[in-house]
Amino acid sequence: MGAELLAGLTAVLDWEVLGFLTAGVTLGAIFGALPGLTATMGVAVLTPLTFWVSAEQGLAMLLGIYCGAIPAGGIPAILINVPGTPASIATSWDGYALARQGRAGLALGINALLSAVGQLTSILFLALLAFPIAGFALKFGPAEYFGLALFGISLMAGISKGRVLKGLLAGTLGLALALVGLDPMTAYPRYTFGMSEFLDGISFVPVMIGLFGLAEVFVQISERHSIRELPVKALGRILPRRDEWKKMLPSMLSGAGLGTIVGAIPASGGDIGSVIAWEQARRISPDKEEFGKGSLRGLAASCAACNGAIGGAMTTMLTLGIPGDAVSAILIGALLIHGIQPGPLLFQNNRAFVFSIVFLLVFASLLIMLIGLVGARPLAGILRIPSPWLWAGIVLFGTVGAYALNNAVVDIWVMFAAGIAGFFFRKAQIPLGSLVLGLILGPMMEANLRRALIIGRGDWSGIPTRPIVLFFLIAAVLLPVLPWIRSKLFKRGE
Amino acid sequence: MHRADGVTAAAFAALGAYLVASGGGFPAGAGGLPGAGFFPQTIGALMVVLALGLLFKARQRGGTAGFAFANATQTAGAAGMLLVYLALWGTGFFPLRTVLFLTLLLKFLGQRWRSAAGAALVLTTLATAAFQYGLNVSLE
Repeated sequence: MGAELLAGLTAVLDWEVLGFLTAGVTLGAIFGALPGLTATMGVAVLTPLTFWVSAEQGLAMLLGIYCGAIPAGGIPAILINVPGTPASIATSWDGYALARQGRAGLALGINALLSAVGQLTSILFLALLAFPIAGFALKFGPAEYFGLALFGISLMAGISKGRVLKGLLAGTLGLALALVGLDPMTAYPRYTFGMSEFLDGISFVPVMIGLFGLAEVFVQISERHSIRELPVKALGRILPRRDEWKKMLPSMLSGAGLGTIVGAIPASGGDIGSVIAWEQARRISPDKEEFGKGSLRGLAASCAACNGAIGGAMTTMLTLGIPGDAVSAILIGALLIHGIQPGPLLFQNNRAFVFSIVFLLVFASLLIMLIGLVGARPLAGILRIPSPWLWAGIVLFGTVGAYALNNAVVDIWVMFAAGIAGFFFRKAQIPLGSLVLGLILGPMMEANLRRALIIGRGDWSGIPTRPIVLFFLIAAVLLPVLPWIRSKLFKRGE
Repeated sequence: MHRADGVTAAAFAALGAYLVASGGGFPAGAGGLPGAGFFPQTIGALMVVLALGLLFKARQRGGTAGFAFANATQTAGAAGMLLVYLALWGTGFFPLRTVLFLTLLLKFLGQRWRSAAGAALVLTTLATAAFQYGLNVSLE
């Protein structure tokens, strides 16, 4: 293990890898600081730039974007009350109030510092628990993987608040899209419509660029956001004092912990984690009435939680091959392109690479903390860039990136179709995350179910008798109906 | 009926029915094992059931709320311009074509000619430098 740890660190301490990491963190900070450009969009649009470099270099850039965008999303949340990424929603509740009280600098400083605390806590979680989880997952056979995939999709629908049916429908659409290409067992072509380009299935990256990049541009044009007023002229003091640290400590720790746990649950990212952590901090705080009016405790909880979700999501992604959120779904696609399959076998066959990921995350979180502390003012300045310029940039880089993947024109049409579909899905309030999960888990689900049946010689009854499979199947059935049961119970209680 | 949900449900039901029907045309499995059509048919059937559930809910919700398109002309216009740009992909002159497309797009989105052309030039230069020269991707 020691040699692999050292090998992982050596791979990261390469100047080219560190250069890609710095570029990624900087780009991520720009994407996060600009409302409308999210971490998901940044990773989706810029993934094609990493195809021509080594896995470490490519992953350094993508992880940099991920780790850079989430904390930077707090900058517009604090300065103009518009979250730069969905994960910063709770940051705006107290951050903007602090900015209006003339303490914008302090809010930005807390955002930078506690984002690093949240990220580092969750990376520690990843480093300590990923190996035991992966070790347990190594016992999984095809039937267990089928159950896990089914559980992942149903979990996504279960947490699509008030939109369970739409979440499930989006999941089935993702599964349907995953059918395109050769049948995993018989190699019979399905839904290729005679086009050889589709024999390998629909390219994942153009779909992601379309769903999260192009669709978002269309949505913003249709809603025409105009939020470029910077009411805050002076930032003031940035670093918190000792008594302020003391005040924030419990919220910071609970926020980092809760964010990590929520992030580890498939499909629930920093947005959910930060809101839960903020609410939890309010519940245990002696000054509840301060929350939402510039509470340092509230800000600490939300900043630590939304960043804690990163390590949690990475743990699920790396150990089980299941995406913790939309960004990690795209990261899976990027890793597959580099010939790396996330999952328990990665921990058995390529431990040094896992350690590289851990070190990359550590360096990225320290780098974004530094950028957040010294670069808050220039990052605040980019809020003045006109939205149409950003839209044009996303459209151009998205199109060229989708094409560059295989030098195939069909990929830009896939991106365009995904963009139009994603726009209508957003308007119909269909969760795109479920669709992505279906698309990723579809092949895993089908191939493993059929493998399990081959092993069991066509006997279906053998599958649910395995304890882990039974657990996943029961959970998969229960999760989507839980909100309905809860609402019925509450109604009865009233 | 909630129109947006109704339309969504109908679209999903149609796709599900197509999957069920088309899955029947794939080779059947041997020895009691599922064939290539098993998964499409299962997913299609599930989609139809879920779509019917959504349709039922849409009827229950009442009202006539449809899709909210506040800026439909601009959105459709931007999508149409992109469609033309993509249709001309591979016809050569990537930088010229791209600058022209972006300038028109930015002007259409309310920017002044000069700033639209300037931004288009900068973005095209960046994309060409990154992909064509940096990553050796042929964009022509």
